This record gives sequence, structure tokens and C-alpha cells, in this order.
Amino acid sequence: MNAKRIVNFVGLLTIVALILAACAPAVNPAPTAAPADTQAPANTTAPEPTTAPEAVTLKIYLLDYTPDTIAWLKSDINPAFEKAHPGVTVEITEGSWSGWDTTFSGFFAAGDGPDIINLGSEMNTLYGASLADMEPYLGEAAWPDIKNFGPALENAKYDGKLRGLPIFTAPRYVFCRTDVAKGDLPPQDFAEWVTFAKENTVIDPATNSLTQQALVPVDAGSMADWQFWLLVYYSLGGELYKADGSPNFDSPEALAATKFLLDMRQATYGSALEAVGALPTGQGSVIDVNDASGANNGAVCLAHSGWAAPAFDRPIWDKISIEPFYGDPANFPNSKPVVLAFNDWLAVADYSPNKELAAEWLKLAFSKEANNKWNATMGLIPARNDSQYGFVTESAQLKREAELAARYGVGFAGIFESAKLSTIMQDALGKLITEELTPEDVVAKIQSEYTDALK
Amino acid sequence: MFNNPYLEVAVVALGTVVFIILVSLGLGNATRLIVRARGASLSYQNNTFAGYLFASPWIVGFLVFVVVPMAFSLYWSFTDYRVTANEAPQFIGLDNYTRLLFNDASFRASIVNTVFLTVIGLPVQMGVALLLAVLLNQKTHGERLFRMAFYLPVILGFNTAVLLCWRLMLNTGTGVINQIIRALSEAFPPFGFLNRGVIFVVELVNAFFLGLGSGKFNLLARVIEAGFPVDNRVPLWVQSPLWTKMSVVLLMAWGCGAMMLIFLSGLNNIPKELHEAAQVDGASGWKRFWSISFPLLTPFIFYNLVIGLINSLQIFEPIFVLYRDNQPLVPSTISMVYYLWQSSFSHFEIGYGSAISWLIFVMTLIITALQFRMQDRWVTYELY
Repeated sequence: MNAKRIVNFVGLLTIVALILAACAPAVNPAPTAAPADTQAPANTTAPEPTTAPEAVTLKIYLLDYTPDTIAWLKSDINPAFEKAHPGVTVEITEGSWSGWDTTFSGFFAAGDGPDIINLGSEMNTLYGASLADMEPYLGEAAWPDIKNFGPALENAKYDGKLRGLPIFTAPRYVFCRTDVAKGDLPPQDFAEWVTFAKENTVIDPATNSLTQQALVPVDAGSMADWQFWLLVYYSLGGELYKADGSPNFDSPEALAATKFLLDMRQATYGSALEAVGALPTGQGSVIDVNDASGANNGAVCLAHSGWAAPAFDRPIWDKISIEPFYGDPANFPNSKPVVLAFNDWLAVADYSPNKELAAEWLKLAFSKEANNKWNATMGLIPARNDSQYGFVTESAQLKREAELAARYGVGFAGIFESAKLSTIMQDALGKLITEELTPEDVVAKIQSEYTDALK
Repeated sequence: MFNNPYLEVAVVALGTVVFIILVSLGLGNATRLIVRARGASLSYQNNTFAGYLFASPWIVGFLVFVVVPMAFSLYWSFTDYRVTANEAPQFIGLDNYTRLLFNDASFRASIVNTVFLTVIGLPVQMGVALLLAVLLNQKTHGERLFRMAFYLPVILGFNTAVLLCWRLMLNTGTGVINQIIRALSEAFPPFGFLNRGVIFVVELVNAFFLGLGSGKFNLLARVIEAGFPVDNRVPLWVQSPLWTKMSVVLLMAWGCGAMMLIFLSGLNNIPKELHEAAQVDGASGWKRFWSISFPLLTPFIFYNLVIGLINSLQIFEPIFVLYRDNQPLVPSTISMVYYLWQSSFSHFEIGYGSAISWLIFVMTLIITALQFRMQDRWVTYELY
């Protein structure tokens, strides 16, 4: 009897072991070889059906795209791709930029997740080591169309190798209300900007709060955003790294950019001791007009990308100028007009067993026509130069933005440990605007902490 | 495993159930074999089998979802594990801990902020909860409605809509909270003076704590230099580093519904005879509260204190929802758990994040143990 029970018990354990073994993750197959046929279609026309090696699901993770974009992908691109690749199903998961980092770290920690993920400009260095080398599939030898991509393509590289493809370019411009602004537009150097800020900022004495703000940079409330700092810094001709690769925050340009942020803050809010309240939180673009009340939303100028500006069909566009940020040529001869070019791109994860399929999908979704159509659903500038037609040239605003991006665009990429730099800079700049630290202290703090972070 | 994702989910779910059943049977049988080997009776063997059979789903869950992750976390805390580096964790001994304790100014700032939220936020939260409980215990009309209203924030939590409401309410210029303060200050000048006094004290205290965190007291010097606030000053709730933590305290107080219910149940448990006897002896309501209600509430206060302290030491959500989109303000209010999140999921340093989590765990354990050791001095259990 005892022996029978022991046999039963051992049998149970065997079943458990078998189940555990069956549930264990499959060993990733060896990376698929580069496609033999290097001529990929350059439009949305479905390519000739090829025999898929096995039935698979190609998983794509997109962040905050418009319903129109998703609908178009599902109705046009995915069916065309599935038709060309029998047995392959494309599955799109929609996520959000809020909390993306936690989600993505889960994918990479588990070594399992979507084949294609949606990244932002500066994330090439952040995730680069965990992204697939797509040169064999998307490099010029494999896909001649790649030469049609503009400077945004650099943001999709890590260690000199392609990791995916850029979707659009979304530079940060200076949008100004010509009907509200006092003084000449646009300000051409730092001194003009500070004068402009003083003349165009209105504080309500009853509430001691801003009712009109001369310049609303990326972060409206504090004027201490690290991305705005980088825009100012690049406009002075500043470089983030020295020749030996060490940080360059101890440069004269870094100190000047920091002082400019403080000067602008004080020209807007006064001294920190005056405790002036920020602009109220409202709806719509800060340089637009409230339809119900007819009142302005509060900003005279906005330094941001197009999506923070009014929608293109708003009547206010007759009174808005679009300019780059001109730097401070009076004091820094290397100054140059700059628009800081951000972009979204789709990367292929290194853990993906479907790299070749992912490349094929990217070629289809990033063809000349498809890249144009994708951006038409969002009103953004396509990353491909040859896709900048139709809605781009028909819209006066987009045409102007595309011209400025082509002439003055500076990429927001190649920043090592970008998440840490963001944290370090926000901490230091937060202390700058409260006058807890001087500009000299701020750049020294950033230089020291960022140097440690890069070790 | 399968091409159809629905089938895959169904098979995994079924497999999980089968796995739990088989492990439960295995554990039950194993324990039966052990007690049999010790010479237990058949009845005892059967009881042991049944006991472990039914307990094992929880035991398995505890092992798989708590013990195993904790073991991994402990191991990773001694490694340099960067999740995006595509490399295996590198063992580095105690480096993460020494860096945290001796070299990381940001972690020190997060401890100081957490201490602020604990020593100031928790008493405010408990005080509001106790006040509401006492008011609701008056058996007035609409008691249930008020009880539900005060508990509602616990149910609502910190979702996007709630966050937006708070941001609008806390706006310096147009927010309803500051509008009320302005209106009251104009209508009742003594209130205005009191408001300015509170602002001065709050800014002094916050500047002091920010100085403790950063090691520099420039801001405190600036606040002292500015002197007593001018007439139209209002709190700069979600705008100034001097007010960021107070905004979180406000949210903590707003979410005191669970504590309030505990206090309310404690007040309901106090025998009415005690109050009636004291009333006959001429004791005032205030005297009765401090001499009867409060001592008998101490077990409930102790419970709320233990739970509240653990929650305060692990505070994350209000800071995340209020300030994640306003990065320059984050350092002034960053808590230990927010720093843990930032290290692990923003900087992707899982090893370092694991070390932070273990330090928080040890600190929480020590403080909770101290609370239990000291409860004999002030908690009254006699009547229970």
C-alpha cells in the first residue's frame, strides 16, 4: 500500500515536472538570415506573396497614435502585409507615453514582448544594446529606399547601425502671436529675448499671478525644462561632449544658456521671493484664443513642437509666426538658428525571433506613400524626404516647418544615459529658478553628476 | 506556444489550475508520508493531508509570487543589473549599498522628503481622520451620506480625472483653494494675517527640509531674507518647491477615509455608560473626549499609526500623479519609493533599485518593530 502511494506521488511529481517543462519559454530560434531579395517594394501595394516559414504573429507596440493612424494601419498596411506573408498575423497593441518606460523595461527584462516597439529620439542610446542590428535588412545594400530618409534616420541608429526606422520629424519651433506681441518679432539674441519677456508678461496684481506670459517653453510652469535648455545651448553652438567624450557642461556656452534661463525666468516671474503664480491651466494651445470667451489663452510665444501649437484649421494661424531660436550671435559668434528635431521611430527588439518579418513590415509601412499617409493622419512632417508632398506642401504651416527643419534642424539624439541626464538637469534647473543655486553652481553640479553617471 | 493568442491564454490558465491541483496533492501526500513516518495515527495522517491540500494553493502562490521574487531582488541588490544593457547581472558585492548610504545625495534627499511626509503628513492625516470620525459619531442627519463622501476618495484613488481636478484646484492664480483663501483673507483680516503666518512657517520648515536634503541652506536664507509674506500672498501649491510636499500632505489628508472608518468603529465600541456616567458627574464634552474616548481609542490610533507609517514610508502615488509631468519639482518632493521607481524603471538600474527596496524594507521593519516595542507605554487595551 505504501509503495503504491509512493508510486502515485512520484507519478504526480513527474506530471508536474512535465507541465513545468512544457510551460518553459521556448528557446529563441537563431536570428533569421538577411533576406536574399534586397529589392523591397517602395509603396503600399502588396508585394508578391512569399512563403512564410511558419505561422507567426508579428507584434507591434505603438504609443499614443491617433485613431486615424491606427485605423489606417489596420485597414491598409496590415492586410497588405498579411496577404503578402501567408500565415503571418500582425497584432498592434496601443500603449501610452505615460508609463512606457515601466512597460518597456518589463519587455527587455523578460526578453519577450512585441517585435517592434515605438521609441522617441533620445532612446537610441537608452535601449540601443537591446535592439536588433537591422543593417542586414534595412541597410542600403538590402533596401535602397533607406537613402530617402532625412536626418531623423540618425536617431534610429545605435553604435552606427540601424535599429529601426523614423516615422516623423517634430522639431521645436518658436511660435509667436504677431497680434499680441509688443516689440519686434522674433527676438534675435538673448538681450532681445529678456527685453521681450519683460514687455510681454502681464501679472495680475490682485492675484499676483501671470495672466500673460511672454514665452512658454516646453514646460510652461517653471521655465526650467532640460529640453529647452538644450535648444538654447545648441543655438550657441554648444556641444554636449568634448573630444574625449566627457560632458561639456563646464563650457562658456553651458553657463550662458543657464544664465539665459534664469534671466528669462526673472524677466517673467520676477525674483523667486516675489512668489508670482503661474499661468492657469487651460484647454487648447497656450497661444490660441478661447472660443467661448474670446480671450487669449495666455502665451505670446511658444517654444514647442507643432502638437502644442493650435490645430492647423484654427483661424488664429493668420496671426502666428514660426521661427527658429536664433541663439545669441551678439556674444557667441558660433550661434546659429536652431530647431530641435524630435522624432518617433519604430525599433526592432533584439529578443524578437521575427527580425526579417519585422523588417518587411517596416519597409511596407515606411514606403514613400505610406510614410506620407501615416503622417497625414497626424499632421506631422514625414521622416522620408521624398514623402514630403501633398498635405505637407498644401499646408502653409507644415511647409514652413518642413523648410525650417531642413535648414536648421538639430537632432535630439546621441545623448548617453539620457534618462539620468534628464533627472540631473531637472534637479539642477529646478534649484536654479528658485535661486537656491547660482548658474555657476548649476553647471558645476550637472557636470559633476553627469560625469559620474557616465562612468 | 500557440499561434492563437486566445488558445494560448486558455491553455496557460488551464495549465496553471492543473499545476496548482497537482502541487497541492503532492504537498498533501508528502506531508502525510512524513507524519506517517513519525508514527501518527491514520486520522492524524488524513487531517494533515487535508490541511496541507487546502493550504497549498496559498503556499504555492506565496512561494512563487513572494519568496522567489524577493530572493531574486536580494540577489540583484548585490549586482550591477541594467535591464537595457542586454547583459547578465554582474556581482558587485555591497557596492550598491555603500553608494546608497554614503555617496548618493538624491537618495538622502528622498529620505528627508519621506521623513517630512511622515512626521508632518501622517499626523495631519490622522488628525483629520479622527476629527471627521468624531463629527460623524454625533449621530446627526445625513451621517451615512457624509461617511460615504469622506470615504469616496479612498475608492477614487489617484486617477487622471482626480489628478486634473487637484491641479486645477491647486492652481496659484485661479484655483478654488487659493480663491477661498483670498476671499477669506479679504473678508476677515485676522484670517489673512493667520494665512500669511502659516505660509511663512510652512516655507521656513520646507526650506529647512530642502536644505537638509541638498546639504545647502541657501533657500532657507532666501526665505528668511524675504521676511513675513506680503498681503496678497497665497500658497504656491504645485508651483514652488517650498509647497510641493504640502500639496502631497493635502492629498494624504484628502485620502484619510480608511483611517476615519477605523476611528469611527473604535468610537462606536466605547461603552455609552462611561460617557453617561461622566456626564452625570458634570464632565464637559472636551473632558470626556480626552479622558474617556481618547484613551480607549489608543488601540485604533496605534493600528492607524502602524499602517499609516508603513504607507508614508512607501508613499509614491500622490507624488507620481502630481509631479511626474512637472519634472523640475520632483526633486523637492521625491520619496524613497519614487526614487526606487526612478532608478529601476526610468534609469533601468534594477540592481540599484533592488538595493533601495531592501533598505526601505529594513527601515520599515525597524520602525514598525520599535512601534510595537513602545506601544506598552501609551496604548490602553484594558477594556477590550
